This record gives sequence, structure tokens and C-alpha cells, in this order.
Amino acid sequence: MKIPTAMDDSSVSHHNGGQVGSQIGVSVNNKQNDEPSQSVQYSIPGILHFIQHEWARFELERSQWEVDRAEFEARIAFLEGERKGQENLKNDLVRRIKMLEYALKQERAKFHKLKYGVELQQGDVRPPPKEPPAEPEPAERAQWKQGRQLIKQYLQEIGYTDTILDVRSNRVRNLLGLNNEEQVEDPYRNYDKNELYGLLQREIRTGGKEQRKGGVPPGGVYNEEGLSVQETAAVFANFEFLANQEMDMDEIDDLDAKQPHHASGKQGEEVDHEAEEVLNELNMLTESEADGGGQGDEYPVVKLSGSTASQASAVAAGAAAGGAGEADEEPLALGELAQLTVSNEPEAYDVASANKESFRKTWNAKYTLRSHFDGVRALAFHPTEAALVTASEDHTLKLWNLQRTVPAKKSAGLDVEPLYTFRAHTAPVLCLAMGAPRSEECFSGGLDGTIRVWNLPAPTADPYDPYDPAVQGPVLRDHTDAVWSLAASHGRLLSASADGTARVWAPRAPRPLLATLRDEQAATPPAPAAADFADAASRAAVVYRDGSLLLYDLETGQAVLRVSCDSAATRVRSHPTLPILVTAHEDRHIRFWDAVSGRCAHAMVAHLDAVTGLALDPNGLFLLSGSHDCSVRLWNLDTKTCVQEITAHRKKFDESILDVAFHPLRPYIASAGADGLAKVFV
Amino acid sequence: MADGVQVLRRNRPGSKAKDFCRWPDEPFEEMDSTLAVQQFIQQTIRRDPANLEAILKMPEAQDEGVWKYEHLRQFCMELNGLAVRLQSECKPETCTQMTATEQWIFLCAAHKTPKECPAIDYTRHTLDGAACLLNSNKYFPSRVSIKESSVAKLGSVCRRVYRIFSHAYFHHRSIFDAFEKETHLCKRFTYFVTKYSIISKEILILPKLDDETPITQPVGESEA
Repeated sequence: MKIPTAMDDSSVSHHNGGQVGSQIGVSVNNKQNDEPSQSVQYSIPGILHFIQHEWARFELERSQWEVDRAEFEARIAFLEGERKGQENLKNDLVRRIKMLEYALKQERAKFHKLKYGVELQQGDVRPPPKEPPAEPEPAERAQWKQGRQLIKQYLQEIGYTDTILDVRSNRVRNLLGLNNEEQVEDPYRNYDKNELYGLLQREIRTGGKEQRKGGVPPGGVYNEEGLSVQETAAVFANFEFLANQEMDMDEIDDLDAKQPHHASGKQGEEVDHEAEEVLNELNMLTESEADGGGQGDEYPVVKLSGSTASQASAVAAGAAAGGAGEADEEPLALGELAQLTVSNEPEAYDVASANKESFRKTWNAKYTLRSHFDGVRALAFHPTEAALVTASEDHTLKLWNLQRTVPAKKSAGLDVEPLYTFRAHTAPVLCLAMGAPRSEECFSGGLDGTIRVWNLPAPTADPYDPYDPAVQGPVLRDHTDAVWSLAASHGRLLSASADGTARVWAPRAPRPLLATLRDEQAATPPAPAAADFADAASRAAVVYRDGSLLLYDLETGQAVLRVSCDSAATRVRSHPTLPILVTAHEDRHIRFWDAVSGRCAHAMVAHLDAVTGLALDPNGLFLLSGSHDCSVRLWNLDTKTCVQEITAHRKKFDESILDVAFHPLRPYIASAGADGLAKVFV
Repeated sequence: MADGVQVLRRNRPGSKAKDFCRWPDEPFEEMDSTLAVQQFIQQTIRRDPANLEAILKMPEAQDEGVWKYEHLRQFCMELNGLAVRLQSECKPETCTQMTATEQWIFLCAAHKTPKECPAIDYTRHTLDGAACLLNSNKYFPSRVSIKESSVAKLGSVCRRVYRIFSHAYFHHRSIFDAFEKETHLCKRFTYFVTKYSIISKEILILPKLDDETPITQPVGESEA
């Protein structure tokens, strides 16, 4: 305001200059009159005043710009942060979907199993019921769809807010990632930041002025929406023709006059482009744009995106940017997700498994259990505690509490000292079984032909407590040769001995021997190598040195299933939930048997040497195997692929790993070796 | 291993007790395992537990520390057998203290402050403590080479372990004799500690054991 007046006055001054006199008195009265009196008669104080004034004004503006710039920078940082957050969120969601799909897969397998009793020779559940739903009646298909619907519902429940965020993140990413990268960053490269911000700020200011002057928006109030629309419009417009503008700061006035028109004129086109781009890119987002605009209002921080979105919607849907969104919102979000899952169909399982791979835990050796003088033949975890029992060829068993460790010298692992040493066997102890939870007992079988029942000392016991004979329970002496395998379930004990029999016991009963299982058909009974309960302890699976596998019904004591293979078997385990028997063989194979039909469901070369140890995790998803090739391998039962290999023990003679085990509750696995060590992995 | 294809020295599940570890001997030179010394010692013992000369004849170029260490491990392991037998007869009520002859009461060193454990506890604690020490990662991290300072630890283990023999000899003679007949363990132990001068002679209070003329009455003399 001051400049123009001064100028005006100066022009007038020529006129006045002609007049004579009226000197100081006038100049005091009126500056205008004073200046002209000397014909271009600027008084020093006047000039100073003017300059001072201008200076102050510029300073003020500058500080204002600075403030605004800081604000913008903060905003950018925030948006960038948000974008990252959203990306993480999305990843998480995708993972969740994968998990749910996996669960669905498992369910399908289970359902299948229940339905056909047998199944799961697609035990490689993997390329799942593409066929099954096709062949069987449509009822199944419906059910399948139902399941999908259910999962969608779950997703909706779980991820409701997440999906919104996801949509938003998409938008933000698109606006920031695409527009900003293309349009903002280029100008950034071309123009010095200060200048850019200065211009930006000017735009805003002038926009605001325009509004006030022209009274274009009703009320002429600087409301958030107005500002942000102006602002972004200005930004985009500005970037466009900034290149043409070579003006410097002195031409502010001109700018003041021109800019608004340009801005508003350009705005239309720009935004049109904008909208198109956005719409093309996020086809499905259109409905939510209005909503997004609303959000922009609610959260001033996301003004940039919000307002752009609102522009887009304004252009796209005209002024009718009403509440079209709300209802469509969910289908939209789910639509996206559904698309995800549907598109997963063909190759999803690979993706899922690949994903799983990356999220899978790897086991690392943590505890080394050294105290046995000779090879550790067997080990078994406590049913609940972080404790285990090992059985060794040094004739003893030892109880270990993993929570009482001795810091080892090497940082790699912890040494554990045994809590208790069980002495009673007079020969190497060969096998071990843990009793039921809370029974606090374990059973061991030895080369001496005895099976001993032990009462476990409390895990807090001191290794140097006085000897308590009550630790020794009953002794079962019916076997006449080495006892090589023990399994306990439902209060009963199953043993396999080199005397050619497998026996079932009620270990603490007055007459403990319940049944003797013998292969009646063989003239000279082959020696059983291992035995395990199957089918909720109603059956017993016994493998023999000659490679045969017999399934005995424990009611009748008769063999109900007989399969054979060429290679001597060393171990047998029954799957905790499915009617599958897993056997380990000297020919390096692990074989999977259908416990109903007796069909060999799968056979694989699992190791480089005889397989000696087998353990299934309590959920039946993983299989652990040990071998004389010194390695422990973890297998995904689903895909029958090895997911981890651990070299764990050294050789003594030609033996290496003798047993492996899973903790029934806790995340521990363990291996026992001929080198006298046991190792626990977490 | 040249014969590795034919002979796999393994105890396969299901094998009979009499076949346990019944495989052709492997020459010590061909053992390439880190546990070669243990394998060799066990192999020689299995061949003839009474042949002390053969059992304690150290192969050439064998580190003596490891040799002694592995033998002591084997002793402690086999002593479990004696402890198992003693558990049935040696009660805290009857053998309230660890004594050999009437002159000596041994204090159990497994506790923070040594204390008078009953004989059976002393036996168990000593064996447990020996198992801990001999498997200690600190003193015996390797079974291929052993520090000189750790070899020095073997002496105290031997001294304590010897007391188990002497207690059994003087107080549970029938058990001792039956066990000795089977394993020749005490004889081997005495031979071992004498050969390598691990325990001074005067501590060896048991009379010289001889199969042909078993000593029927305990000799009550002691060293101090």
C-alpha cells in the first residue's frame, strides 16, 4: 500500500514543483507536499523510513516463508513415514491372508480326511483340492465357497480398519509416489528450494488475497479446505509454468495481479490430469475418493493428499461429491482382498510356502548336555517343564533342567549340569519314554532286559541331595533280551525287545504285563526294532529288523495290518492326528504308511546314512530325523521337504546320532549322540 | 576306512544283548574319530577285561594326558556298576559315614563345605562330581588334547574314587568280590594309578588283589 501511494505522490510532485515556496511548514504537514517541493525532493528520513519499512516487510515475509517451509517439510516427512507404515501394514495383511489360507488348507486336509477316512496321500496337501471339489458333489463346492466367505468375513473383522488404512496408503503412495516423484521432484531438481518455497508461499498468499478481494468463496474465510485446494492447485500450476517465469522478487506486484488467474485457469486442467491419473491408477478407489476428501478435512496433516483426492473427486464426480462412498467402501476393500486371494489360486501355494520359508524359525543349538561317559542312546522331554531325561550306554539316566544352566566359556551355548543321575541298570540303557503329564515318571529299557519305572525328582532338586531310594519304581523283567524301544500313552507302556516280542504294560499294576505281541506267522520271529502306540493307544505299530511293519490291535493282540519292505527298520512313529505311520530305515529312507490301507504313501531318501531317530512335533506338522551321517534334519510334513539341517554330533565307531526329540509343549528340539552329548536347540 | 563298506560298527536297534558291540576290532591307527582313545580302550576291555597289561598299554604317539583322562572316564563309568550294587545294600542307616578302615572318615567334597555324607551318598556324589568335572567344558573342552593344569585335576578324582573301592572292600565284601570278578576294575584301577603314579602308594590301602589267592580277611592297617 505504501509504495503505490509514494509513487503516486512523486508523480504528483512534478506538478506541485512548479509552485513556489510553502516550505517546511507544509512538509511537516504533509509528506507528499514536502517531497515534491524540491523537485524530486526525497528527504533522507523519508527514504530511510521507506527502506526500513520495506525491509521489515520483507523480513516478515521471509520469516513467514520459513515457517511455512518448515511446516511443509514436516508434512512431507510425516507423509513419507505414513507411507512406510502403510506399506508395512499391507505386508502384514498379506501375510495374514497367507496364514489364513494355510489354515484353510489344513482344514481342508482334515475335512478330507474325515470324509474319506483315508486320504492325505495328498498328504502332500499342497496342490490342494483342485480336483477334489471338482469330482465330488457340488455340496462340497458350496462348502468350499462358504469357507472362503467365512475367511473373507474374518478378514473383514480383523482387518477392517486395516483395509481402510490400506486403501489410504495406496492413495497416499500413489499421490506421493507417482505425482510427487514425477512432478515435485523434477522441479526440485531444477529449482533451488528457497525459491520454490517462496513461490509456493506467494501463491498461497495471493490465493488467499484473491479470495478476499474477489470474494469468490463465500465468507472469504481461510478455511482448511480452501487453503489446501488453493495450495495444491498452486503447487501444481506453479510447477508447470514456473519454468517460464524469470521474474525476480521485485515483480511481486505483477505476480499479485496475474497469478490468481493463471492459477485458477491452470487448476482446472491440472486437476483434470491429476484426476485421470488417479482414477486410472486406482480404478476402484473412485468411490472412496469422496470419503478420502472428507478425511483430508478431518486430518489437516494429510491435507496434501486429501485435498488432491478431493479435487479429483470434485472433477470426476462434479460437485456431487456427496456420500456415495460409505456403502461401497467395504466391498471395495474386500474386493481388493478377494482379488488377492482369488489371484492366489493358481500359484498361491508356492507363494505361501515361499512366504512361510521366510517367516520360518530356524533352530539353533543352545544347550549342550555333557555329563555322560558314553553314547547317549535316547532322550525324552518332560511333558511340561523345560527339562529332559537322557539315557546312556554308561548305564545311567540323567535328568536335566534347562533353566538351571552354567554359563559356558564359549558364548555359543550354555552348559547344563544334570540334576539327577538314575542308577539301577546294569547295562547300557537303550530306550526311554516319558510318562503322562503330572505323573512325574519315566521309563527306561536297557540291554539288561529290564524296564524300569522312575519317579522323577522335582526339577528343583539338588544334584547332591541324599540318595532317595523312592526314585526307583517298579521293575518289569519279563523281557529276556535287550529292550530297544519304549512308548508310553494313556497310562500304558509298549516295549519292543530283541527277544522277539513287543509287550504292553500297565507299569504300576500288580500284574503289569497286559499283552505280548508276537508275529505269529513267522517261524522264527524277527526281532522288533521299535514300537509306538497308534490310534489313541488302541493299536501298536511295531517295526522289525527284517523291515516289516505290523499293526496290532491291542484288544485282540492280533496283527491287523502287515506291510513289508526290504530294508531293516530302526524306528516307527505314529502321526499325532492322522492315520499315518512314519518309519526310519537303514537304507537311508523315511517311509510314510497309510495306517488303514497299509499303502506306502511316500518314501524318501532322507539322509546320507542309516536313519536312526524320528520324532514328530505335537501338531504333526514337522518331522525330525537323525542319522549316522551326523546330521539332524527337520522336515515339513506337508511338503516333505527338508527345512533345516543341523550337524550335531561326532562319530564314535560308525555311530553318530542315536535319537531326536520334540518337546511336547515348548519350542525345544534335542538330539542325542554316540559322542556322549545331548544337544538342545531352540 | 577300508573295511567300512563291509563292517559297520554299529549297534542296530533290535540286536541281541550278546551281539552288543560285537564287531571286529578296529586297529587304533585306523580310528579317525575324535573319540579314538575311548574306542580303543573299550575295545581292548571288551576283548579281555582281565588283561590289564593290554588294556593299559598306551599306543605309541599317544598323548599321555588324554590317555589317562580317557581311562579315568572309563573307570568312573564302570564304577556306576558298583554304585548300583551298593545302592541295594549300603544304607544310610548302616553306613552313616564314608569309612574304609575304622581309622578314616572321608568328607564329601561335593558340597560347599565338605560334610560327612553317608557312604552311599558319598559314593553317588563323588561319581556325579567326577562326571561333572571330567565333562567340564572349562577343564576338558577337548578329548584330543588336554591342558597340563587339567591333567593335574585327575589326581584328586582318582583319590576320591579309590575310596569307593575301599569302602566296598571293607564293608560290602561280597558285592565287591562279585563285581571285581566280573570287571577286574579295582585291580585295573590300582594298576593304573600305580603305573602312572597318580596316587601315592601309602594311600592305596587295599591289599594286593589276586585272583588265585583271594584275601579273606580285611587287613586293618592304615597309613597314619
